[in-house]
Amino acid sequence: MTLARKIALLLAFAVGVPSLFAQERGIEFETMKLDNGLEVILHQDKSTPIVALAVMYHVGSKNENPDRTGFAHFFEHLLFEGSENIERGQFDKYIQNAGGTLNAYTSSDVTCYFEILPSNQLELGLWLESERMLHAKVDQKGVETQREVVKEEMRQRYDNQPYGTFLLEVLDRAYTKHPYQWPTIGSMDHLNAATEADYINFYKDFYVPNNAVLVIAGDIEPKQAKAWVEQYFSSIPAKQGKIYRPEVEEPAMKKEVRDTIFDQVQLPAVFHAYRIPSVQDKDIYAIKMLNKLLSEGESSRMRKALVDEQQKALTVFNYAMEMEDPGLAITFAITSAGVDAKDLEEAMDAEVERVRDELISEAEYSKLLNQVESDFFTDNATMFGIANNLATYHTLQGDANLINTELEKYQAVTREDIKRVANKYFQPSNRVALYYLPEPAKP
Amino acid sequence: MNFKPTIFTFFALLLATGWAAAQNDDFRKNPPKAGPAPRIQMGEYEQFSLDNGLQVIVVENHKLPKVTFQLLVDVPPATYGEKAGVPDLAGDLLSRGTASRSKAEIDQAVDFIGASLYSTSTGVYASSLSKHKATLLELMADVALNPAFPEEEFEKVLQQQISGLQYQASDPATISSNVSQVLRNGSAHPYGELTTEETLGNIKLADCKAYYEANFKPNISYLAFIGDITAEEARELAEQYFGKWEKGAIAKKFFPRPDMPEEAQVAFVNKDGATQSVLNITYPVNLKPGAQDAIVANVLNTLLGGGVLSSRLNQNIREDKGYSYGVRSTLSYDKLIGYFAAGGNVRNEVTDSAVVEMLKEMELLRNELVTEKELQGVKNFIFGSFARSTERPETAARFALNTARYKLPKDYYATYLEKVAAVTREDLREAARKFLRPDQAYIVVVGNMDETAEALQRVAPVVFYDKEGQEKKAAQAAIPEGLTGMDVINSYLEALGGKDALAKVEDVTISMSATVQGMQLSIETKQAASGKMAMAVKMNGNVMNETRFDGEKGMVSAMGQKQILEGEEAEAMKARASIFPELNYSAKDHKIDLTGVEEINGEQAYKLQITLPSGDVVTEYYAVASGLKLRQVTKQEGPTGEISVTNEFADYQAVDGVMFPFENKSEGMAPFPITMKVESVAVNSGLSDDTFKVEE
Repeated sequence: MTLARKIALLLAFAVGVPSLFAQERGIEFETMKLDNGLEVILHQDKSTPIVALAVMYHVGSKNENPDRTGFAHFFEHLLFEGSENIERGQFDKYIQNAGGTLNAYTSSDVTCYFEILPSNQLELGLWLESERMLHAKVDQKGVETQREVVKEEMRQRYDNQPYGTFLLEVLDRAYTKHPYQWPTIGSMDHLNAATEADYINFYKDFYVPNNAVLVIAGDIEPKQAKAWVEQYFSSIPAKQGKIYRPEVEEPAMKKEVRDTIFDQVQLPAVFHAYRIPSVQDKDIYAIKMLNKLLSEGESSRMRKALVDEQQKALTVFNYAMEMEDPGLAITFAITSAGVDAKDLEEAMDAEVERVRDELISEAEYSKLLNQVESDFFTDNATMFGIANNLATYHTLQGDANLINTELEKYQAVTREDIKRVANKYFQPSNRVALYYLPEPAKP
Repeated sequence: MNFKPTIFTFFALLLATGWAAAQNDDFRKNPPKAGPAPRIQMGEYEQFSLDNGLQVIVVENHKLPKVTFQLLVDVPPATYGEKAGVPDLAGDLLSRGTASRSKAEIDQAVDFIGASLYSTSTGVYASSLSKHKATLLELMADVALNPAFPEEEFEKVLQQQISGLQYQASDPATISSNVSQVLRNGSAHPYGELTTEETLGNIKLADCKAYYEANFKPNISYLAFIGDITAEEARELAEQYFGKWEKGAIAKKFFPRPDMPEEAQVAFVNKDGATQSVLNITYPVNLKPGAQDAIVANVLNTLLGGGVLSSRLNQNIREDKGYSYGVRSTLSYDKLIGYFAAGGNVRNEVTDSAVVEMLKEMELLRNELVTEKELQGVKNFIFGSFARSTERPETAARFALNTARYKLPKDYYATYLEKVAAVTREDLREAARKFLRPDQAYIVVVGNMDETAEALQRVAPVVFYDKEGQEKKAAQAAIPEGLTGMDVINSYLEALGGKDALAKVEDVTISMSATVQGMQLSIETKQAASGKMAMAVKMNGNVMNETRFDGEKGMVSAMGQKQILEGEEAEAMKARASIFPELNYSAKDHKIDLTGVEEINGEQAYKLQITLPSGDVVTEYYAVASGLKLRQVTKQEGPTGEISVTNEFADYQAVDGVMFPFENKSEGMAPFPITMKVESVAVNSGLSDDTFKVEE
């Protein structure tokens, strides 16, 4: 097995975008694919003696069994417990004692583990990640402890946070069939009900090299890095057969879903969640520019009108959840003290209506492009940022080079496109509208 | 003056722990060996000052086409008393209008170039792509040097700050942080002053202008240029835009140094119904920037709980016991007074145990030497963090700023890692004895008093505080000998009019009104003695939700959606349908504990913990003098778990010989109190069953 080295080496040339990369040549990287299906992306940058590693598994809460929601995230916690060769509790110690830092996150679509290490410790990171992929081990004590930890996470992040439950409430109403209807934190009852077989199956189904991408970014020698990748990862067996992906098509929304949540909050808030297409759809760029138009910067339309001029909102945000399957664009505004939620909502709607009815100005359009350009450098200012972006583009859109070409896609969006997507997606009949109100006495 | 590059090696210390070499056959068994230690190159910087005393720092880094400008005004700490909050308001106002630009014009100019710019009480921060650097610096200088303080912007900022305070008011982390600040420093100290709606109300625009005039001077300020800019360009731009800024005298005040408490105490802030406690073990420490102590302190804190998963606190509290999602500690230095803090969020049942374990970890470091291996691991982590931090040019600027502000030796950061490497196990224990003081700590707990306070007595004396960190008067009267919970219920029924009169009540209709968020809310409840109820809530005349219970099934409809409640959920409604549920209390089905005497709105009241047949626990307070019910705290199922609802009753008036409270103040789960005034009460109006009918 150790000698089976049929590695498909694909060299991806960064595509130059002259106006943008006046000062550098974009983010160069090379890719390779191991026999077992593991995709590998390498980016060399020797300016700081550090290296970032990311292993992204193409599994998230949407791959869960409906009566085991929260499993993907819980599993992420468990995979820090150890392996055949790593004793319980030692995983993070290895990294931290080597001067590194580590963490992980789980979304609806992916689970990503990462380390940032001094560059002389790359091999250690690869060893640890290969142990996690090959033969992770979890004992009963680990399961019990992490279950308690996740419960505390739920209390801290959702229950005890003002508006902390909004995403749960929105998803529950925005989806009827698709697994996006449940949040990644899932249900405690489901986690309590999980059996050993559930753990084993989940690991065998999803934590396999042909369902993952490994990205290494930083102060590396690519030849050495590739040799180590091969040493540690090539013997990990691939999964035979298909990897489960939900093939559920969520029916289009026909009319607005409207509800009120009474919560432990002081100021009322309004949430609008518009259904938008998958991150793979080209409309996503126009939608993201529309979000910026509405709430990026103090001069953005909603911040200017609602927060400053009318003083109806304490704050307002717009963002698109970029998901593999059709996602949501969410607008979130908190009222100023003494303002009625309905008043605020009318003002929000007036701004969206204006985008639907009128072309944005040339000046606003230029501003959006300038903001997009500035974001590019902010998003890719660190080795971890680059590793994470490469992994995400690869996993969700099958093209890591979007890190370099995405800007062109934004530049191709016209003012008419922004008006068009506003009309196509940002309609009351295509949204969930939620009020969060301070709880008056219940019956 | 020119401070030249500092290059030093990333010590071979990372090799320290003798890991076995990888073998070909079982390379998986042991961790691979580290490669040769890389060299860390700290960004170089240049520093010079203008004639007006403004110190300029330039960190050149052309990797990305970005620049960051930072103006730091080193405003001396001061108190503002009944006008606490002046600095934040003044800082906010800087970017809300200058002599030549309105707020909208500033915002437009900043956003158009894809930049960000914000002002604070101690300066201005701005960043953009480097091609816009001149435009950006001109804007920044305008904001910093020519603020116009427009009256209408002042009104807006004031309103936003008030909204901001309300937004945070129910957040337990904010409460914990506020109370900790007050306890550590005292409310007369610059670090112990809290901004409240009251102090904001006292502030005038002139106060903000005065703050700016008194403090924004070049001779106490630093201007940092970071990123894709040359020292030459920076010098020219600094001269051009900040050269004419006039210097001035700065008043400095002396403040006595806050001390640790004589002995440990649990400082408890009650939050009815909380499911987690926010813990913060804290006290002031005298730790100055640049002291040799500060480096040992950093090693000590990293080992104890400095944010890493492998810290002692996390290993114990999270990884071993699963008490928390994560705990951490801080040991911070400051020119005036530093502090220690350790804490996190833990669930109610383990609050006392978590505190005991955390104090134990502190004590352990005072008593026992750590192992070489553990110390080495922590040092390695600090070396690595240092290396990672050099990825951003802002780090070099921060080092330069600290060196200048705190008058550190020029090679302080260049030799930082050497100093870390030299820390011994003995140094660490000595520092632990100095800085870790479990016996002199404020153990601040924001949480559910009923479920956690008693158990905490075993840790240290429990003292109760309000959300502003002021001690609550202990007005605990004794419970009269022999008085039982049932006695309190009986005297309540007597006070309402007596059991006979109550038994004659067949039905009751109560109309109430309230004003919420400028909206008119009206609530009508109808109840029948046979255990049925109907309630309608209208907002501005429109029915917002309607609830009915016909004795078996329930129905809730809100915003056009209807839900039929059966089984367990209907049972819960049954319990609430009764007009005078206390009439049916019995020693057999109800556990009624009289747990104490407390003050409710200035009135002495008996506190009862009543366990209903369903297992739910209700806390109720009955006036000692009148026997009437003053407050009730119930737990209800919220969207994601339990929440608690507090109702306060007042203005009791007799209707047909029975007393009804004509005022009901309800704090949902949040302290956004809604006061409902009763407009009419009708007794025995002969309600028909149709009133309670549940339509599927």
